[in-house]
Amino acid sequence: MSKEQAYYVPHGTYWPIIGSIGIAMLFVGFANQMHGVEWGGSVMALGFAITVFMMFGWFGQVVNESISGIYNSQVDRSFRWGMSWFIFSEVMFFAAFFGALFYARQLSVPWLGGADNNIYTPELWNGFKTGWDAVAFTTPGTTLQSGVEMSVPTQLVNTWGLPALNTLLLLLSGVTLTFAHHALRAGHRNQIIGWLVATIALGVAFLGFQIMEYGHAYHDGLKLTSGIYGSTFYLLTGFHGFHVTVGVIMLTVILYRIQKGHFTADNHFGFEGVAWYWHFVDVVWLGLFIFVYWL
Amino acid sequence: MGVFMTEVLVVLVILAIMVALGFGLLGLLKGGKAGSDRMFKSLVIRVSLSIALFLFVMFSGYMGWIQSNIVMLDAPTKQTPVQK
Repeated sequence: MSKEQAYYVPHGTYWPIIGSIGIAMLFVGFANQMHGVEWGGSVMALGFAITVFMMFGWFGQVVNESISGIYNSQVDRSFRWGMSWFIFSEVMFFAAFFGALFYARQLSVPWLGGADNNIYTPELWNGFKTGWDAVAFTTPGTTLQSGVEMSVPTQLVNTWGLPALNTLLLLLSGVTLTFAHHALRAGHRNQIIGWLVATIALGVAFLGFQIMEYGHAYHDGLKLTSGIYGSTFYLLTGFHGFHVTVGVIMLTVILYRIQKGHFTADNHFGFEGVAWYWHFVDVVWLGLFIFVYWL
Repeated sequence: MGVFMTEVLVVLVILAIMVALGFGLLGLLKGGKAGSDRMFKSLVIRVSLSIALFLFVMFSGYMGWIQSNIVMLDAPTKQTPVQK
C-alpha cells in the first residue's frame, strides 16, 4: 500500500457524540430559556460547558496527532478542503445579512413609502413616513405588532468617531498579521510572537470600542426595536463582533502553538487557516463600514 | 469628483479586495510552497488595497464627494435628516 493510500482515521473517537450532546443541550436550553421555562438556563449553561470541553479535547487531540507526524499529505488536503467549506458557509452567512441590508434599504423601505407604484402606505396607516435613517422618521410611542414600544434614538453614532477608529484598528491588525505571516515564512520566531501579540491587542481594542459604541447607541435609544435600521445594525455588527471574538481566541491559540514550536517555515496550515479567517473578518468590517455608514 | 464616480470607484476597489482574498483562499486550498506563496502575496495585496480604500473613503467624506448615511447627530426634532 502506498503512503498516499494510508489515510489516517482515528478509531473509537468519542468526541462527535459528546459534541452532539453539548450542542443539542445548548439549543434546547436556549429555546426553553426564551420561553421562560425554569430549567432552560441551567441546561443551556451545561450544554455550553460540554461544547467548550469537546472543543478543547477534540482540537487538542488533533494538534497532538499533527505534531506526532501521523498525518500525511492526504490528511493535509482534507484539512484545507474542510477550511474552505467552512469559509464558504461564512461567506454565505454574511452575504445573506448584507442582502437583507440592501433589500431593506433599496427596495422594501421605498416600497412602503409608495415607490414603484406599490400601495401608498400613508393611506393605510395615517402618519406613516419612510426613510432609511428610519429612526428619524419614527413617531415616538409607536407600538410594534409584538406589543413592544418602538425605541426612537435621540442621536446616532458619529461615523467619524468610533466606527472610523475601529476600522483603522482592524485594518492595522491586518497589517501586523501580515508581518507575523512574513516572519513565520522567514523563520523569525520572536518577530512572529511580537506581531501576533500586536494583532491580538488590536482585536481586543476593537471589541472594547465596539462594546463602548453599543453602550452609547443603546443609551441614546438605538435598540433592536428601532425599526429595520436598528435590527439590521445590531444583526450585522453583532455577528461581526462575534466573529472577531472567535478570531481573537483562534489567534491566541496560534500564539500558544507558536511558543510551543508547533509550526515551521514550510508547514503551518493552522496559522494560514486562522490568518485567512482574520483577513476575511477584516474585509467584512470594511464592507460594513462602507455600506452601513457611507454608501 | 462626483458622488457617482466616487461610489463606483469604491465598489470597484471592494470587488478587487474580494478577488485578492479569493486568490488567497485558492492558495490556502492548494497548499505546498506554491500555494503558500500565492496566499501570502494575495493577502499583502488585500491589506494594501483595504488601507488605500479606507483612506480614500475618509478623504472623500472630508472633501464632500460622498456623505455619511448617518447624518442625524442631534435629536430628530432639532435637525432634519438629509435624504440621500
